Amino acid sequence: MADRIRWVLLAAAGAVLVTFLLVQQQSTSVSYGRAPASGDPIPEGSAGELSGATVPSAEQLTAMVKAAPVVRLPGAIATWDEKAVQAAAGSAGVRILVAPPGLPKEARSRVKDVEDATVQVIGTEVTGGVLQASADRASEWIRQFATGDVTESLTTLVAHLNHQPDAPDQPALARRDPAAGELAEVTAALRGTGRYVAPGATLADVPATTAAFPGAQPLYVALPQQPAGQPLVHFGPALAKEFPGRPIVAMYGQWIEYDGPSADAFADVATASFYGQFADRLSTYAYPQRNVLGAWLDRVTAIRYAGLFDRPLPYTPFDPLRVALPALPWLFAACALGFLVLSARRVVRPDRPAGTGVPARLAGLTALAVEISGLTGGASAAALTRGITQLTAARDAFTEKLPDQHVHGLLDAAEADLDSTAGLLGRPEYRPAEYLRGRLA
Amino acid sequence: MTWLVWVLGAVVIAAAGVGVAAWPWWRDRDLRRRTAWSAARAAIDSAAVSRDAASTPQPEAEQLLARAETIAAAHGGTRAARTAEDHARRADVLWQATARG
Repeated sequence: MADRIRWVLLAAAGAVLVTFLLVQQQSTSVSYGRAPASGDPIPEGSAGELSGATVPSAEQLTAMVKAAPVVRLPGAIATWDEKAVQAAAGSAGVRILVAPPGLPKEARSRVKDVEDATVQVIGTEVTGGVLQASADRASEWIRQFATGDVTESLTTLVAHLNHQPDAPDQPALARRDPAAGELAEVTAALRGTGRYVAPGATLADVPATTAAFPGAQPLYVALPQQPAGQPLVHFGPALAKEFPGRPIVAMYGQWIEYDGPSADAFADVATASFYGQFADRLSTYAYPQRNVLGAWLDRVTAIRYAGLFDRPLPYTPFDPLRVALPALPWLFAACALGFLVLSARRVVRPDRPAGTGVPARLAGLTALAVEISGLTGGASAAALTRGITQLTAARDAFTEKLPDQHVHGLLDAAEADLDSTAGLLGRPEYRPAEYLRGRLA
Repeated sequence: MTWLVWVLGAVVIAAAGVGVAAWPWWRDRDLRRRTAWSAARAAIDSAAVSRDAASTPQPEAEQLLARAETIAAAHGGTRAARTAEDHARRADVLWQATARG
């Protein structure tokens, strides 16, 4: 029984070990309270980020850059403050090649390989040689994505390339309230369909519902990229007054602003998180506004489930595996210990078959030897002494717990000697077989 | 620290395996050695009795028994015990033949 338990314990230990190893999978996705998966927010290629624009051959590009200090390819969207860039470049000057966004990889590398151009701008991504200048704060992102203004990146990169002192930061982008006519047009559209898509905007449709704003349908305002160098219209606060309590999502080109409930709580976080991660792709590619909006809403959902809002967590079902996992190592240790204890017990106290008649035989033969000891003499005395010697050896072996088989072998020898003693004496009744028959029966 | 438990468990299992295999083997070896010496000593004692009972000297048997006693005095392993027992038995047989003859 104990033996069976022992093997069961070993099997259990093995099973626990295998289970533990199998459930050891690490995942990079970390979520507070099981946020609904957003899928792949920006799938490569299929997200319509390629604009279909083309660029001339490398030779043509080189010739164009040699002919003029600034070359704007058709479809280019980037703009900048000429004076600021020239001031940053110093006396050495700068040659800039501006390409449209959404180029395929091969066209991008063709643009970047034009060595005569000091700086290449693809979309609003600014590179020069092995260097790249990127915006890293909201005041620069709004210029870059709402108006296509890359002055800040350009001055930084050009000053660096020409070994000039760092250019001064650009002032914050000026904002203006919408004119009465503009506001009325947008308000009317929002009251009618819940969204306003200005001419030139690429927002084809809006999500019917979104987990980012549960229980409320946001109002969407989509404008195309706004002209640089003039105050940027600010629809959010004006619309928030018109529609109190409604979430308002305003897109200026690739730039998304939020106004409405909890704006203070997460709008800045969403902006920093979203553009911090996606600014690289948004600047190079020409994503439709619908895709940018979808990715932004996914990010807001993630932030909402990150616990920044004071709301109870969604119900997460009880997972017995997660509860049982920490117990597995101890279970394994307990099984191993049980196996060890049972094994040790088995080794220390082996089961010995019950008596096989050794003491009785020893006693009988000893009694016989004592009984005939008075009759012997000469040859029979030698045989008797040999028998007693064997009996002594058998007794010692029995005391030392040597195998019964061995003790019986010694007793056999003693019996043979006593038998020959009885033969020499001529007393058949003292033959061991005869003598012991009555006693051991 | 959890990994420590796994290491301990593995060590315990390995120790149990080695112990289960080695202990009975070692005990069995010791038992066989003691058994062989028990048999050898019995044979030597028996041969000594036969020598005392023998009327005529038997140089060959004397030599065999002396060799057996020498081996026994050195306390060797199972094979030494077998050799000693063998020598003692042959000496015993020689002396018993003399006594009978």
